Parts: sequence; structure tokens; C-alpha cells
Amino acid sequence: MARLEDIPQATREVVLALAMPELPGQPWVQPKPLAQCRIAILTSAALHRRSEMPFAAGTAEFRELPASLAASEIAMSHISINYDRVGYARDINVAYPIDRLKELAGEGGIGSVAATHYSVMGSTDPATMAESADGITARLKQEGVDAVILAPV
Amino acid sequence: MIESRGVATVAIGLVRPHIEKTRSPRGVWVPFPLGRPFGEPDDKAFQRRVLMQALALLERPQGPVLLEDFPDDAPSMKDRADWEPQVVLPPLQTPTLADSAAWIAGMGAELTSVAPHWEAAKHRFGHTNVGLSRVGMDAWAPYLATFLRGEIPESPVASLSPALVARYIADDMKAFYMEAVQAIGQQPSGLQVNRWFWDGTLAAELLRALRTAALNSENNGFKTAGSRFIVPAPFVAKA
Repeated sequence: MARLEDIPQATREVVLALAMPELPGQPWVQPKPLAQCRIAILTSAALHRRSEMPFAAGTAEFRELPASLAASEIAMSHISINYDRVGYARDINVAYPIDRLKELAGEGGIGSVAATHYSVMGSTDPATMAESADGITARLKQEGVDAVILAPV
Repeated sequence: MIESRGVATVAIGLVRPHIEKTRSPRGVWVPFPLGRPFGEPDDKAFQRRVLMQALALLERPQGPVLLEDFPDDAPSMKDRADWEPQVVLPPLQTPTLADSAAWIAGMGAELTSVAPHWEAAKHRFGHTNVGLSRVGMDAWAPYLATFLRGEIPESPVASLSPALVARYIADDMKAFYMEAVQAIGQQPSGLQVNRWFWDGTLAAELLRALRTAALNSENNGFKTAGSRFIVPAPFVAKA
């Protein structure tokens, strides 16, 4: 999308009508140099282990994705039917670039890949997600993560 | 929300007005379709460029808002002119809404012809998203056909309502076909795969019929799930 003009009209109207939060203040945390950073991914694609139940509509929960979880063990249960899943069907990295991150760590481009990554349901109202943000941040700090890539779908 | 709690972040943004408004401390807007924040499937170098542009913002000392645009479209945003679907389907005959036997027989034949391609796709891509409903493929059509007769079946999954199971069967069907048709050959555009599914399969006709049944249903759960979360707006009418 994406370029707005490329989005089907019905979806575009919904997307643009979403009340996006204007977060208070202007937070800024300066991380270590990239080559020393431990990096995690937070995806809003509603990814989870295949053995787990789907994300419910409107849920404010988060799920943990171990870095070691194989693509064959991951399911996507986002409620929206108005985004492309064809690319993800070929390659999960187009939404959740865990393999690219591992390659970068192997080459020294980043310090390391976090052992755990995080997933939420992107269509949920962010105003309800403070508790999940607390929970995710606490885990990130506990694991010594220096920076997070926020990846929507 | 994460940065204000003390951990640095960089956001990929698919909808530019959103990333402008939320004022993420660091962001890269990308021109790709919704669902593809890293641009191009099966293209490590391309995905890496997106990832590196984002990660590089973490090294910049100035803030508090950095927003860059990724400069290039992804190759598969365009249709591939020489792409031909390799799945051969039985001739399309759409039953009337209440003719459950015809839906079940027709879907049985179609799923049988798609299944080997889906197996090949699962092997090729190393994963599948089929399975959300926890309902086996053979039970998809019989379960959905019940809704088409104006009845609400019992949910076969303890923690999911009947309507939610229908919705996840629809997700499973779409994944099954759209994975299968990519089992062989080079990469089509997302739209090519969607057009193949929505314009030529009995499964798509079944999902459209399910939507129609939902619109006429007095069951609120089914009305909502079936009318809004089965058929994407651009494909409600057959091309």
C-alpha cells in the first residue's frame, strides 16, 4: 500500500478512517552501535505457534515467538482479509524477517538476534494495549534487547 | 509505546499517513502492498535492503522523529506476463444455495485436483497456513453447506463459535488454493493469484454463497463473520 492509490477503495477508506493514536511526548532512546545491538521483531501479523488457538478479534494480548521456531510451526490468524497473504505464503520473511535478521547477526551487521520475538493482532485498538506494551517491554529488557523492529502488515 | 517504556524502536510503515501521525521515533515508509512490509518474497537481497534502511536509523544520533521513504517498488507488485496457473480444475458449475449435495460433490472434486499442488507448495515453501480451523479438508464443504441451507451447525471446536469456525475454514480454503497455485514456476503478483482464485474456482463461489447466506442470516455472529470476514471487497462480485 502501500501507495494509497494502489489500495482498493473500500480498504483505503477504512484504513484512512482509523483513529491512529498521537502518542504523548517524544520518546527517544539511543541504542548501542548497531554491530553491538541485540534486536527483536514485534509483528502485528497475529503470528503464533500452529499448536495455539488463533488470535481473537479485538484481543489486546501478545504472543511470544522463539527465534528458533521453524516457519512450518508458525500460523498467521490476523482477522483482516484485506491485505496480501500471497507473498507470505511463499516466504514468511516478507512479513517476519527472522531469517534475514539471523543472517545479519552471522555477518556481524548486528550484535545478535533476540531469543524471543513478539506478535500482536494489528487491528486491535492501540489504546487497549498498554498492558501488553508493558509486558513486552519488560521481557525485552530482561533479555537485554537493545532495539525492536516494528513490522505491520 | 515501546520506546516510551525504554527500548529503542524503528517502525516499518505501510500507510504513510499513519506513520506520520503516530510519530514513531524512527520510521521507514515502504510502498509495498499491505501484508508485505519487507517487499519481495524469495528475495533475500531486497528484504535485506528494507531491513538495513530501518536498522541504520538506529545509528543516527538525532531525533526525536526520523522518517525516511524506501525508494523502490518490489518487483512482484507488477503482474508477471508469462505466469500461467498450473492447477487444472474441473469445469466450474455453481450449484444453487441450498443444493448441499452438489456443493459437497463439486468441492470434493475440486479439492482433489488442488491437493497435490498444495502438497508440493508446502514442500517448496516449507510451511503452510492451512489449519486455523482445526477442521479437516473433507469436512469443509459439508460444514459450510449447512450455513447455505439457512441452518447453524454445531461448532466442532470447543472454544470457537460456529461462525468463527466457518471464518477459519474460509481462511484455510483461501490459503490452500493460493499456496497450491504457487507450487510450480516463477512468482506471480498477489493480484494474479487472487484473480485466479476468485474468478475461476468453485471454492470462491462457495465463499460468495456463504457471504450471501450470512447477509440473510438472523444469527448475529454469522452475519458479522460471514458478511465482513470471508470475501474481500474487490472480489464480492465475480469479474
